[in-house]
Parts: sequence; structure tokens; C-alpha cells
Amino acid sequence: MLAFVGRRLLTAAIQLVALALIVFFAIRLLPADPVARLAGQDASRESYLSSQHALGLDRPVMVQFGAYIGVLPGSSGLLEGDFGRSWVTGDPISQEIRRTLPITLELITISFVLAFVISVPLGMICALRPGGIADRMTFGYSLFAGSQPEFWWGLLFIFFFFSVLGWAPPPLGRLNPMVTPPPVVTGFITIDSLLAGDGEALWDGLHHLMLPVATKVFVLSGPIVKMVRQNMTRVMTSDYVLYQQASGISPGRIALTALKNALAPTLTLLGILYGYILGGAVLIETVFSLGGIGQYAVSAVLAFDYPAIQAVVLVIAAISLFVYLALDVAHAMLDPRLQG
Amino acid sequence: MSESAEIDTALLQADFDAQLARPVSNTLFHVGAAIVALSLLLMVIGPWLTPYDIGRPSDEIMQPPPSLSQVPGLVRQMLAGAPHPAIHWLGTDSAGLDVFSRVLAAPRADVSIAVGANLFSLLVGSLLGLFAGTARPWVGGLTMRISDLVQAFPVFITGMILVTLAGRSNGTIVVTLALLYTPIYIRLTRSEVLTQRHRGFVDAARVLGKSEGWIALHHVLPNALAPAMIQASVTIGFAILMTAGLSFVGAGVRPPTPEWGLMIAAGADGIVQGEWWPSVFPGIAISITVFGYAAFGNGLERRHAR
Repeated sequence: MLAFVGRRLLTAAIQLVALALIVFFAIRLLPADPVARLAGQDASRESYLSSQHALGLDRPVMVQFGAYIGVLPGSSGLLEGDFGRSWVTGDPISQEIRRTLPITLELITISFVLAFVISVPLGMICALRPGGIADRMTFGYSLFAGSQPEFWWGLLFIFFFFSVLGWAPPPLGRLNPMVTPPPVVTGFITIDSLLAGDGEALWDGLHHLMLPVATKVFVLSGPIVKMVRQNMTRVMTSDYVLYQQASGISPGRIALTALKNALAPTLTLLGILYGYILGGAVLIETVFSLGGIGQYAVSAVLAFDYPAIQAVVLVIAAISLFVYLALDVAHAMLDPRLQG
Repeated sequence: MSESAEIDTALLQADFDAQLARPVSNTLFHVGAAIVALSLLLMVIGPWLTPYDIGRPSDEIMQPPPSLSQVPGLVRQMLAGAPHPAIHWLGTDSAGLDVFSRVLAAPRADVSIAVGANLFSLLVGSLLGLFAGTARPWVGGLTMRISDLVQAFPVFITGMILVTLAGRSNGTIVVTLALLYTPIYIRLTRSEVLTQRHRGFVDAARVLGKSEGWIALHHVLPNALAPAMIQASVTIGFAILMTAGLSFVGAGVRPPTPEWGLMIAAGADGIVQGEWWPSVFPGIAISITVFGYAAFGNGLERRHAR
């Protein structure tokens, strides 16, 4: 088991190093001119050159890379966990990420857990009577939900639940500006307000999460239902289930043992899905102005803020790899055959 | 994962897909096929069918669509050729452009980008997959590690970065999506090649003295392509979602091109004030189109498994 985890950790680490290299050089190979972008299109030659110097872009690429990873004397870099400063605001990027990342993780984790809790029973109902009316309806639903433009559904929810019904708050952020945010401990509003015993902030935070989470759960339930259904159907046709049926064990008990075996392979798929939606949170954050790392990525990209772009890609890839790894290890623990 | 384990998984997959295949009805497949055909048709002729000029603003700004009770009257007037005011079936947007015309014209951008990107990555990916499946194991392994690496990038954010920094144009979006989707086809073709390589007809060709390269191109590839083509149907749908999403955040197609994601973004502010039609109709178009590709792909998969 230890060897298995170690091997996977090593692969992930190599992948991250390769990602860091590719991101750094790829964005410098693309035909974009960040200096013109930051200094303004009609900046004078002098101000162009001075911005170029201020950004360090007048140095050879390899020197820039050295500064980025932090092997040049007198500067800290990626090796010390320092992402550098934003070209646009001048603030340290680590600080920006520490502020925006928890917002995204909170949204996605809550949506993920809820979608899973809803999807497992749905997938099981399908698998218990394949081809039945419930199976067909759920299958149609999962195909539909899995192919929807989530940003549009977010807007649709805003129209119905805010504009028409008035149940939801305006889509303008994570908290009502009138509510004092709880002191930052973890950055997750839900957890911080619980730690501070601040009922008002907790309620307001959940109220603002209502529509974005509903949108995400709807879209996510599609692929998760499909996974559970496939795995459950596969297990239900296996020899050991047939044997249990022949032995006269009640269908409920069979379903319970089958569920455990069906959920183990879904863990790996869930890991892939989590990374995928972490990178895709951009859209839903934009619709609801949540100010997470996705929205930070949009502003960094549109402003040609290279250090911020590099940091966002690395952080998201690292978290995706980590979650994938953790769920894969959990899968291997449930199914020892995989550890070989 | 070792080679043989991968083959086992692939076989197992085909096996239980076949078991899932039986019960679910064929209706979804036919609906999907019709939607796919319509979207391809509109990609070609959509911009020529528009009742209004898609680029010229008018003073009829933010007109709501006619209410359902008015529709029969309007249709009667139109059919009788009686004089009637300009009808905007889906309303107009904040620039006074006809929403219906723009929804019809948008597949020229959305569908052609998605189809183009997938043809591109299908071609490159299946050839690389064939290569990875037939070359020496270490070469194949290296190809797979590189494709793993591409897949470790967060798809949407990488798409935003590449399109924006390479200069926003339909061409860059096609190339970017093609790059991001190629690993899917490499993986798929390779695992299919590994299962096909030792089938009877391949061994027969070997006995006849055909070279390995000839066998790969003439016997293995054609048989390994089916799953890639099925995958293409589903991935074209996702590419439409991605194109619209990139445009929605301002990192995709340039305005004023009629494009569904741009239209939704332009109407987003109005939604809070109850002006729903400029955003809602293009969204319905995306929703139906992508669902159509998913249903079509799913149906193909079941037919293939049988």
C-alpha cells in the first residue's frame, strides 16, 4: 500500500514540475504582448521600455525563468512557494489565491457532496430494474443534465428565484454587503461563521450559495447518476450476486453489499470529475460574482497578468491531482486487487 | 496499468455496455439524430435564413416577443399577406437586433468551431493512438505520458489562456479545442488497437506476409475507429458548450458575431430586471443542441455494442 501511494505521489510530483515548465514557456511562446497591454496601446517608446524593464521582461527568458523558480540570488520564487507579485495590482499572488481559492472549494465541495447524495439512490433505482420506467426516466434525465450550459441555467435560476419570486438574494457576491463577514480562519464562510458562532453570517452565506449550488448540483448529477448506474448494473449481473440470489438472501441485503462494490470504482471517476469542475468553476462564479479563483483566473487572463496565470494553473492542477490521488488511494483500499 | 489489464477493462466495458443496451428505447437516438442533422444544416445555411439583418441595429430596442395569445392573430395576418408591424418572434436585444435571426445564424460559429476542432483532434488523435498502440512499448508509453500531461491541465482555464494570448479568433478556438481533445482520441484509439491487434483477421494478414505498418493502417485502424467516431458525437456537444462558455466570459468569439454564448452574456444584465428573452432563447438553442449530440452519441454507442 505504501509503495502504491509513494509511486502515485512521485508521478503527481513529476507531472506538476512538467506543468510548471510548460505553462511558463508556453505563455511566452504565444504571440501576445503583455507590455503593450499593461502600458497601453499608444504608450510612448520610453514608457513601453520602462514598463518592460519594470516587469523584468527585458531579461533573457532563462533569467526570467530563474527568477520565477527562485534560483537567482536575492529573490524568492516557486521553490519557496512564492508565486511572485501580480503585474496589475502589485499584490503578492499567494495572498490573492488564499482569499479566492476557499470560495471556489466551498462551492464545489458542497455541490459535489449534495450531487453525490442525490445521485446514488437514483442510480441504484435504475440498476435494480434495468429498462423499467424509472430507469428510462432517470437515464434521460442524466443524459440531459450532463449536457447543459451551466452558466445559462444559473441565469435562468436568477430570473425565476430572484427577479420573479424574490426568494434568492441578488447575484452579487458571497455575502450581503450589510452583513459583517466572520473573522477569516479558514476562508470558508460557512466554517468561519460557525467557528465565530455568527448565525447571521452563516445564514446569509448559505442564502447566497443556494442558487449557485443548485445549478452545480443539477449539472453534476448527470454524470454521477450515469456512473453509479453503470457500476451498479455491472455488479448486479456478477456471479456473486447471482449466488446470493440463489441462496435466498433478501434483495435489500444484496443491494447493500452490491452498493459497496459499485461505489469503489466510482471514486476514481469522481476524482477526475472534481478536478474537471474545479477548473470549470469559472462560469458559475462569473454568473453569481462569487469572487473565487475562477473569476480571478478570468481577470488574470484578460489582463495578460502572466505570474497570476501561472499560479492559477498550477494551484488548480495541484489540487486536482491531489484529490484524484486521494480518491484513487481510497479506491485501492476498498479494492485490494488494485494495489499490485 | 499493464497492457493486458487495459485490454481486460476495455472488454469488460464493451460487455456491460451491451447489457445496458437492450432496455432503453430508441426514441432518444432518433431525436438526437434529428437535432444533429438540423444543427449541421443550420451551420451551412443558417445565416441565409434570417428574416432580419443580423448585423444592423434598429430602433426597436428590447422588444419582448409577442405573447402566446397574440401568436395566432399574427400568423393569420402574415399568411393573409395583410399589412402588419415588423414581427420579432423572439423579441429584440439591447441593440435592437432580432433575437430569432441571430439564434438561427449562430451555428455558423458554434457548430463549425466544434465540428472543426473534433475533426482535427480525431484525425491527429487516432493516428497518434495507432502509433502508441503499435510502436515499441516504451515509445507508446511515452506518447501516453505526454497525453496524460496535456490532460492534467484544467481544461476551461487552459482554453481561456490559449485563446486569449494567441489572439481571439475562430481559428485559434478550433486549434485550442483540438489540442485539448486530442488526448481523448489517443487514449481511445490506443486501447482499441490493443484489443484488435491480436484478432484473427489481423493474424491472418500477418501470415500472408503483410508488413506491420500496412496491417496497422488497413486492418487495425478502420476497426478501431468506431469508438472514436462515437466519442466525437459526444465531444462535439462539449465543444459547443466550451465555445459558448469561453465567449460568455469574454475569452472566445469576438462580438458582434452571432454566437450563442455572446448573446447570453449580452442579455445577462437584463435578466435581473426581468428582460429574459435576449438570454433565454440562445440558451435553449445550446441546451437542445448539446443534448442532441449526447443522445445521438449514446445511441450510436449502444448500436455499436450490439
